[in-house]
Amino acid sequence: MLLAGAGTLARFGLAAVWLVSGGMKLADPGQTYVAVQAYDVLPHGLVGVVATAMPLLEVALGLLLLLGVATRAVAAVSVLVLLAFVAAVAQSWARGLSIDCGCFGGGGQVAPGETAYPQEIARDLGFLVLAGWLLVRPRTPFSVDSWLGRDRQDVTTIEEGSAGGWSGADRA
Amino acid sequence: MGGAERTARKRRQQQLTGKQAVARARGGPDRKKTAAVIGVVLLVAAVVIGGVLWTNASKNATEGQTIPTVQPASTDYEVRRDGLVVVSGSADAPTTIDVYADFLCPVCAQFEHSYGDEIERKVAAGELRLRTHMVPLLVEKSDPPGYSLDAANAALLAADAGEFTAYHDSLFAHQPEEGKRGYDKEQLIQLGRDLGIESQEFADGVREGRFDDELTAEMERVAQDPALQQDFGNGQRGFGTPTVVADGRIVDFSDPQWLDKLVSENRG
Repeated sequence: MLLAGAGTLARFGLAAVWLVSGGMKLADPGQTYVAVQAYDVLPHGLVGVVATAMPLLEVALGLLLLLGVATRAVAAVSVLVLLAFVAAVAQSWARGLSIDCGCFGGGGQVAPGETAYPQEIARDLGFLVLAGWLLVRPRTPFSVDSWLGRDRQDVTTIEEGSAGGWSGADRA
Repeated sequence: MGGAERTARKRRQQQLTGKQAVARARGGPDRKKTAAVIGVVLLVAAVVIGGVLWTNASKNATEGQTIPTVQPASTDYEVRRDGLVVVSGSADAPTTIDVYADFLCPVCAQFEHSYGDEIERKVAAGELRLRTHMVPLLVEKSDPPGYSLDAANAALLAADAGEFTAYHDSLFAHQPEEGKRGYDKEQLIQLGRDLGIESQEFADGVREGRFDDELTAEMERVAQDPALQQDFGNGQRGFGTPTVVADGRIVDFSDPQWLDKLVSENRG
């Protein structure tokens, strides 16, 4: 029960992170373009594509986590995306760029004294813990996954899930 | 009706009801689940497609627009191009300021909004001489890149055509956003036409980027010029826009009275 509660918190927590970060990037496409460009890793032609796709990927991951659809796959993609973010911030730090990560909107060049690389990486590592938890234990209550009755090998979680989740209503 | 036939019909009925029972037991919830999965897929697809459409519409908002013209506070003074600098006002003016700005830089637009009219009035009154340096610092910061340079080039050509101040002010008054589409060369030519620049030389100069190479070289020089380096805190120095220089020193324009103070110092 405790595990189910923690899993649900991880799922909704990570969903909120993706929805907010993606939403804020989506709200200001110009700023997002500048933020992606500031990392100075992508060839010119790819900056626009990534700046358009990244917020939408984040929003999609957030929606799927909120609904609890294909949670393990979404958690796996989340881990990959977060690792890419950590790598991007780390290379900026290592190369001595002075940029804001633009993780939650904003981004682009900042004054050299205003970078926050350690905090940004620590925050992403925190999100990685949430994604990692869901990768190991994707079944949580109140999810489409548990309603569909997937991953039947994880019997205890299903039973816990059906106690309060959609699958309980389905079986009644 | 024979007994065998009756039994066959009975069996068919039993088979039917058996199938129906299975369908009722399994098909109902299965159909619901299929519908749920399809619903989720459609929802995510709709969000992604809608998001791409919104992003592109937002980034290309300047497409097909006519840049609105703006009339300067005053044009009652001499304006001439001196290389890559446009000099406004009399050489006899007691105060001279050099303004370094980029047509894509938001703080430069704010600076123009806050002080542009006041500067133009003081130039018209003969109190001030203005040297405008248009530097393509943000040439990579539009998508597609190049607006910053195209605009600076067009403004220099507008100076040759005698409409610099209105051209310059119009571009800052309706500035495109960083990271988005700027105005293309045809829109820059149209702005010239709307301000009364009919010459083919202007249009050709905009299209061929007449001052592009010089402006790019000037940008590199300016970025390295020790006299134009500002303190960004933490011992870091660099060039930024806008930069205002008077008497060889960088002016702090965060004080709203900076221009009055500067002019009155030199007057007295």
